[in-house]
Amino acid sequence: MSGHDHHTAAPKIPQSAIVDDGRIATFARAIFAAGVIALGVGLYVGWKQGNPNQFAKIYLVDFMFVLALALGALVFTMIQHLTKAGWSPAVRRVAEAHGANLRWLWVLALPVVWLWWNGRSHDEGHGPGLDLLWPWANLEHLAAHDPAEAELVEKKSAYLNPDFFMIRNLAYFAIWALLANFYFGRSVHQDSTGSEADTKSMRKWAGPAIILFGVTTTFAAFDWAMSLSPAWFSTMFGVYFFCVCCTIGFSAIAVTLLRLKQLGFLNGVVSAEHMHDLGKFIFAFGVVFWAYIAFSQYMLIWYGNIPEETTWFAARQVGAWAWLSAALLFGHFVIPFVFLLSRWVKRWPLLLLIGGVWMMAFGWLDVWYLVVPVVPSDIGTFDTWNAFAAAHADATTGLGNPAIYLILFGMLGLSIGSAAMRLSRVGLTCRRDPRIAESIAFENF
Amino acid sequence: MTTVSSAIDRQDPGFIEVDNTVDPVSGRAPLVLGCRDFHDVTHSVCRVNEAPKAPLAWWVAFAISLSLVGFLGVCVLYLILTGVGVWGLNNPVMWAFDITNFVWWVGIGHAGTLISAILFLFRQKWRTGINRFAEAMTIFAVICAGLFPGIHVGRVWFAYWLFPIPNQMDMWPQFRSPLLWDVFAVGTYFTVSLVFWYVGLIPDLATMRDRATGKLRQFAYGFFALGWRGSMRHWHRYEVAYLLLAALATPLVLSVHSVVSFDFAVSQLPGWHTTIFPPYFVAGAIFSGFAMVMTLAVPARELFGLKNIITLRHLDNMNKIILVTGCIVGYAYAMEFFIAWYSGALYEKFAFLNRAFGQYWWAYFIMVGSNVITPQLFWFKAIRTSIPLMFALSIVVNIGMWFERFVIIVSSLANDFLPSSWDAFFPTWVDIGTMLGAIGLFSTLFLLFCRYLPMIAIAEVKAVMPQADPHGQH
Repeated sequence: MSGHDHHTAAPKIPQSAIVDDGRIATFARAIFAAGVIALGVGLYVGWKQGNPNQFAKIYLVDFMFVLALALGALVFTMIQHLTKAGWSPAVRRVAEAHGANLRWLWVLALPVVWLWWNGRSHDEGHGPGLDLLWPWANLEHLAAHDPAEAELVEKKSAYLNPDFFMIRNLAYFAIWALLANFYFGRSVHQDSTGSEADTKSMRKWAGPAIILFGVTTTFAAFDWAMSLSPAWFSTMFGVYFFCVCCTIGFSAIAVTLLRLKQLGFLNGVVSAEHMHDLGKFIFAFGVVFWAYIAFSQYMLIWYGNIPEETTWFAARQVGAWAWLSAALLFGHFVIPFVFLLSRWVKRWPLLLLIGGVWMMAFGWLDVWYLVVPVVPSDIGTFDTWNAFAAAHADATTGLGNPAIYLILFGMLGLSIGSAAMRLSRVGLTCRRDPRIAESIAFENF
Repeated sequence: MTTVSSAIDRQDPGFIEVDNTVDPVSGRAPLVLGCRDFHDVTHSVCRVNEAPKAPLAWWVAFAISLSLVGFLGVCVLYLILTGVGVWGLNNPVMWAFDITNFVWWVGIGHAGTLISAILFLFRQKWRTGINRFAEAMTIFAVICAGLFPGIHVGRVWFAYWLFPIPNQMDMWPQFRSPLLWDVFAVGTYFTVSLVFWYVGLIPDLATMRDRATGKLRQFAYGFFALGWRGSMRHWHRYEVAYLLLAALATPLVLSVHSVVSFDFAVSQLPGWHTTIFPPYFVAGAIFSGFAMVMTLAVPARELFGLKNIITLRHLDNMNKIILVTGCIVGYAYAMEFFIAWYSGALYEKFAFLNRAFGQYWWAYFIMVGSNVITPQLFWFKAIRTSIPLMFALSIVVNIGMWFERFVIIVSSLANDFLPSSWDAFFPTWVDIGTMLGAIGLFSTLFLLFCRYLPMIAIAEVKAVMPQADPHGQH
């Protein structure tokens, strides 16, 4: 403020509150090792099941889950800089640490490179190509199997083709790694220098960074999830995936902080006030905004009732999928809406922890819902919905497969382990952020 | 000691020496400049209403606005006596200026609730300088919006059929129609906005009452101040009510324009039926609302000497919101275009190519130019803090957002599936007259508001001054 632009004295934060005493590092190593083992076992189990398509989808869902976690954490960090938030420096480090996983998450996407490489060779007996997941990657095969769809998909082959797909993916991962690295690196740099230049630089780039983030996540969502049903399209899909990232990422930040506090860290730094605000973030973006976007997309397609759009939802409403759709409605919206609405719930650590874990679980289920169902190719042969539903009443969600959870635990173990390792190395809060004193003293009115 | 004259002197633009658009890395830039204490704030705001005579510029603007209202009356009367044929509507283009104006005005109304509710929940203290007149603007904009569907129904004397009123004929509106949802959405929005605005006004009305000299003013302000005495208990309840109203109003910011977007998006018409419409319309509404706040705030702060309260920082922040929402609108345009191509659907592709290169190409380029391209200038602080440029750009956005609705509505209707039924829409003098008349109605109401009610939320502005925070660092 004018007349008092004196340097704010760094607040006295006890070292024990923000420096790892060894327990975080131990946990990080253990969970990372467990993750490696679980991932290995999961991949083996999945591979042995002999259903490569199902296996690939499981892998894709679990991968998109950990990716969405990191992306949600990254966008949280960027929003704080864009808005010059004063409440959040105390909690921002945890978001930065989760976001920084984007430095290496591309490694888990490498199997796609292998698929792409296989798809390029036209020899007999090569391994599965990209069309293992994305039907547009092999138009000849699609034309033999579903000519009507192939005709539509061919019109978009300037966009949906293996080489361009790979180039785009390269761009996404490069941009995300760059952004996450910048926001983590600069913040850690400030811990040692206390330099205001770091804050200014992070703020300055926040606007362009969020635009880059928005464009890349939108097209990544189109590429990975929407193009699994290559004839289907929705202008809302990018926004929907943004909600998925917010749900999972914001919940993960809250859960991590609550766990750290349970272990006795961050006393006098992160208070119920901060957790309350994080609870609001989860409530606003993960519960309400998600519901708004999901409802709008569903209602408009249901109401318009154009077959080329409704098929996507039809596949999600037959057999067991109908239950899963209903589970999302209640588990991702109705129940957490009522649960997280009250102030005292968000300020009660155990309850917010339950809410956060719950939302992460339903965030995962939402990705499963987006990725796994396949529009039955015979859908055009039924006269009525009832006939179609009866013919596909035995459709299953495939959620009983242990490979899902092994791979999920594996990838989550790697992600959490890396983030925890990072926190152990650099400390648990942005201790020399110019607004850290303001943040620690912050109170909801 | 603060004398009246010294407070007035400090309204002199030359007094503003602190550049509060500079963002300190720690601490916060001041939001109120040149007011030494709370009394200065009260006085700066109230003297506008207490001046025995309004400025000449006010009278000129009022005379023009009131004439337009008269013309609006003529146009509406002519329409009622003759029928909707007096507009330029034709067979494929059955919605044009009327619904364009409706959506435009509803959109403008969104800034008020966003500022008073969402920015309140986000603890954006700068909102206090602009929320009062943004909320007033919201109410007047919704009144203008409501006019259009009301007169568009044709037989205006049956307009009450818009509401589901039990009747002996057992006739009901179609509950599955978004047009009916609109009635509820806009009606709720108007009611809540009005209540929110009025609740916020109560303490300030009491201030006006206490300062009033004439009996009439004392009675009028006193009547609406509901016996407010400013006791601790009053304030406590007031704060609770305000927070609850903010929380209730927040979903309304999203819901109203979402429902308006459903009017189009539930159909199967290419260019209307697209899933991104709800959030895209909401972003566009906030965009146009802030542009209108800017268009009003810039002259108002000049004319009424409020530059110390509606500071350059407030304008800078609003320009940032215009930039953000303009980018979101640009994202939506891009998504629509990309998906129209990606869909592989003939009609979708045609609808968008037709928008950009068909008979209404000029409207499309006005829309993209004004809503996506020129707002990018706000990336530069020099432009965000230049009064003439921001005023000009705000008007450009207002025009661009009007054309956005025109493009969506008319270009999709004029060239639909069947080329033999294509036609073009040309406005008649009644179309244009009604549009200008509504602008006149809006500015008449706004000018009356400026003259008779405190334009700034006095009590709230005081609460963001350093004096209100005894534990703060100052």
